[in-house]
Amino acid sequence: MSSKPKVIRQMPKTPEGREAPSTHAGQGRRGDSERYSLVAVMELIRSGRADTRLEIERLSGLGRAVVTDRLTALIDLGLVEEGELGPAIGGRAPRRVKFRADAGRILVATLDSTTIGVGLADLAGRLRVEHYEAIDAAQGPAASLKRLDTLFDWMLDQYPEARDVWAIGLGTPVSLFNLDASGLNLDALDSAIATDKAPLTENLVARYRAPVWVRSLVQLMTIGEFGVRNEAGMSNRDFLYVDLGDEITAGLMSDGRLHRGAHGIAGQIGHIATDSSREVCRCGNIGCLELVAGAGAIVGEALQAAQDGRSRYLAEVLAANGQLALADIGFSARLGDPYCAELLSRCGQLIGKVLAGLANALNPAVIVLGGELARTGDILLAAIRETIYRHTAPVVTRDLQIIRSQMGRSAGLIGAGLLTVDALFASDRLGGWITTGTPLQHPDVQALLARVTQSRRMPPPPDPSPDR
Amino acid sequence: MSIAGLGPHGERGAPFEQLDISEADAERARLACFRLCVVLHTTTSDWAKQALKGIAATLDVYGASLDEVVDCGFQIDTQIRALGRLTDSAPDAIISIPVGGSAVADAHRRVSRAGVKLALLDNGPTGLLPGSDYVSVISADNFGLGTIGARLLSPYIPPAGRVGILSYQADFFATNEREIAFRKWMGSERPDIRLSAIKFPDLGSLAAIFTAFLDANPDLAGLFAVWDLPAMEAVKVLAARGQCLPVTTVDLGNQAALALAAGDFIKGIAAQRAYDQGVAVAKATITSLLGRDPPSWIVLPGLATQKANVAEAYQRIWHEAPPAALCVPKAV
Repeated sequence: MSSKPKVIRQMPKTPEGREAPSTHAGQGRRGDSERYSLVAVMELIRSGRADTRLEIERLSGLGRAVVTDRLTALIDLGLVEEGELGPAIGGRAPRRVKFRADAGRILVATLDSTTIGVGLADLAGRLRVEHYEAIDAAQGPAASLKRLDTLFDWMLDQYPEARDVWAIGLGTPVSLFNLDASGLNLDALDSAIATDKAPLTENLVARYRAPVWVRSLVQLMTIGEFGVRNEAGMSNRDFLYVDLGDEITAGLMSDGRLHRGAHGIAGQIGHIATDSSREVCRCGNIGCLELVAGAGAIVGEALQAAQDGRSRYLAEVLAANGQLALADIGFSARLGDPYCAELLSRCGQLIGKVLAGLANALNPAVIVLGGELARTGDILLAAIRETIYRHTAPVVTRDLQIIRSQMGRSAGLIGAGLLTVDALFASDRLGGWITTGTPLQHPDVQALLARVTQSRRMPPPPDPSPDR
Repeated sequence: MSIAGLGPHGERGAPFEQLDISEADAERARLACFRLCVVLHTTTSDWAKQALKGIAATLDVYGASLDEVVDCGFQIDTQIRALGRLTDSAPDAIISIPVGGSAVADAHRRVSRAGVKLALLDNGPTGLLPGSDYVSVISADNFGLGTIGARLLSPYIPPAGRVGILSYQADFFATNEREIAFRKWMGSERPDIRLSAIKFPDLGSLAAIFTAFLDANPDLAGLFAVWDLPAMEAVKVLAARGQCLPVTTVDLGNQAALALAAGDFIKGIAAQRAYDQGVAVAKATITSLLGRDPPSWIVLPGLATQKANVAEAYQRIWHEAPPAALCVPKAV
């Protein structure tokens, strides 16, 4: 799957694959020093802070000979390439260097109760291809995971560059999370997240021979929205993303950093209580927001209205199609159906009231509304905006922007790519693989692959007897 | 007819019937005398001719002019140059079929950044976003088309038979969707069938690639082509070898329709409504030029077409009477 790594100055390895401590103090210092300087030069180039040898020297404090040597090493490893000439300042024009975003690829996926999305991202987190399809929740998570494998396999076959997979990034709703496996760093990857007994991450690691990062879907969407807005020059470091679907969730960027929460599941605003319902939620509480204003709740209510004649338009759609979709409700509201307009307006007010509380508490500069419900049209969005403005302190809303997401589900895939690339290139992890040119040679990844391979050879545990 | 697929960004499709321009808006459009250009992957296919007819007829209704139509010959460089030149001529809008994925994304993005409205037909390159980069993608339900292709081919394939997929080796949303859907249907409904991809980068190289595949796979029992032109190229190869295989494809082009009526090779076609797609993209563009946001993905379901209904399907899709050769006399 991956191209053979070009190894330079390989550190000695223990039988477990970890780099052995040096027995020669001076040699060990030289090895560490070289690695640190490689990491420093790599980070300057990847972040875009430096793109000429002179700038690298100035920002890193390293000498000319060392910088030249490290650049040569990074170019040999395929992580950096030379570009065009930069502007001359008194002497010869400097040759620019840049990060090779196509040195490896990231497989990315999102999986929720209705839709599976897959994509292929480069090392800048940019999607090269993406595909989405509806899934049948009734077939259970195992069928969805099998479909994920099939789509990844197709992508690897269709796009030859995809064969150099460095990692996999996956987003799922928190409702699919097993909290015991919320540690998502490399060391915890082998404690695979279980979904209906299907060891999700372990399957992916074994099949694609690459590490896997799993996160809350709404948090990935937040990273994706934030990343794309940042690249487009619309940087707002305090940013709230709200996903309005069957579930209602939110992600917060605070001073440019994602707020994850103690268990990595921050953002479950669909479970904030309203006084509009006495229905019991799947979380065990009563009156949760998503029970009255989630997409599924709205469609359910519209279905009743179609059946008992409160909405003539919806009754006609139901008769013609045999079912109702959220888009039908939005469309009929735009056509002037009073029931649908009132329904969307009422739900918008309920959502707006919860978001007003968040705005008062968090003071975001931007609230981005995404998800299928946000695409139903202006009636719902207007109700959300109006309610937020009515229920927040004027100083909070003075410069607040409330906008609709344009990215759709792409936000989740882009976020998965950005998160995974940042994890691979985090300073502490980068130091563990940079001398080999590929994170697949990181001792922890090698150990993970070995453990997964070993566990696959072991027979599955017997099913517990029902009478035990 | 329901919509099976999802849009370029996972969005649910809006039926094209939802595109409606009021008489007041139509009058505003006529007063504005909008100028549009069209950039197509090719202008020689029957699909392209039909789509263009739909665009031209609709623009005429709203008093807009069609200043130029560019044939890119499936070439990425040609499309990038054409988009740059047309943008410099400052039309109000450009309607384009991106001939690739990320390779043409920047060229399309520059159109909208220059203040020219951009509407996309059939393909949404990865990286472009609705609203900021384009108005709408208007396409067939390509996922549904792939499903129809599989369903129509299945009865002709014996148990455990091998089926070839003539797969377009390009980063192209529409053909990717068709192939994925074809594979998905076969995988769930006919898991006994073995699928083999036959990848072709362009129509010119298809005959040689397909011939080599046939030589290496004498057990091939059927074929699905992701659109009609490669299907008809493959039929030529099969006819020359005296080898008869059932073929299904997408797009009810003239040659494919005649071959379907003849019944020798083509056994079914998932027909796109090209003329209606032209109407829809023109309406979406006018809607956007009037300051309203059309849905980001507007979809037209496909029509499952076989020998028995080819004349009716032709009339519905081409908006004209079918050729006599398609009119199979009905049994009395």
